[in-house]
Amino acid sequence: MKVTKRMENDVAVVTLSGKLMGGPDAESVRQVIRDTLDEGTRKIVVDLGGVPWVNSTGLGVLIASHVTASNADAALKLAQVDKRISQIFMVTKLHTVFETHGSVQEALQSFQG
Amino acid sequence: MTTSVKPNEIQLRMPSQIELLDVVDKVAAAIAEQLEFDEEEAHSVANSVLEAATNAIQHGHLLDSSQAVDITFEMTPEALRVTVHDFGPGFDVDAVLNADPTSPDSLLRPRGRGIFIMKSLMDEVSFEIDPEAGCTAILTKFRRTR
Repeated sequence: MKVTKRMENDVAVVTLSGKLMGGPDAESVRQVIRDTLDEGTRKIVVDLGGVPWVNSTGLGVLIASHVTASNADAALKLAQVDKRISQIFMVTKLHTVFETHGSVQEALQSFQG
Repeated sequence: MTTSVKPNEIQLRMPSQIELLDVVDKVAAAIAEQLEFDEEEAHSVANSVLEAATNAIQHGHLLDSSQAVDITFEMTPEALRVTVHDFGPGFDVDAVLNADPTSPDSLLRPRGRGIFIMKSLMDEVSFEIDPEAGCTAILTKFRRTR
């Protein structure tokens, strides 16, 4: 799992590449989210375009990131969620928790609306 | 030494390493394709087998990589039956099977979805727990008549 971050104006775009399945990689995702919030950023897009699948442990990482952001009065949105991950979001009803967008650009634009 | 294998079975024995889940995923996906499951069904199979293997590694063996997880894919004209075995003590099956992680109180909990995902995506899910032999998850996906 590779985690990178870039700023698009006042929005942090956190890009994940690889399988999200727990272990040390999961901690690095959480740390990037925490660092982003500590820096004062309150708008975050997590780009899942490079993530082919997640397991329930990986789901837990996304949920914990969402909760951490919410507790800091920040908004965390997801972009480019694979169909396979969407299937898990649907059965677990996490599609009601996460705001998802088809592209990073779409997610960025949603912050302007 | 002689070994034998059933003509409709594929067996996989792996160390309990989370990093190896991708191997399990690729085998499950290839078998689902071989059995001509459609895309959604193939995702269901792969996602569920991953969850069972994740449970075996994390909960059954507590990430002890010296412990083996055994996965068997049995292919019949009617169904794909996958068994995932670990040597752990098992768990309270009824409590876990009856848990609903989609309830408002549970929705934001970071854990407790693995078996629910399997139940939701496969046609049949059961567990055999033996204090001596360990825990076996049994997942079945029926093949549709096309």
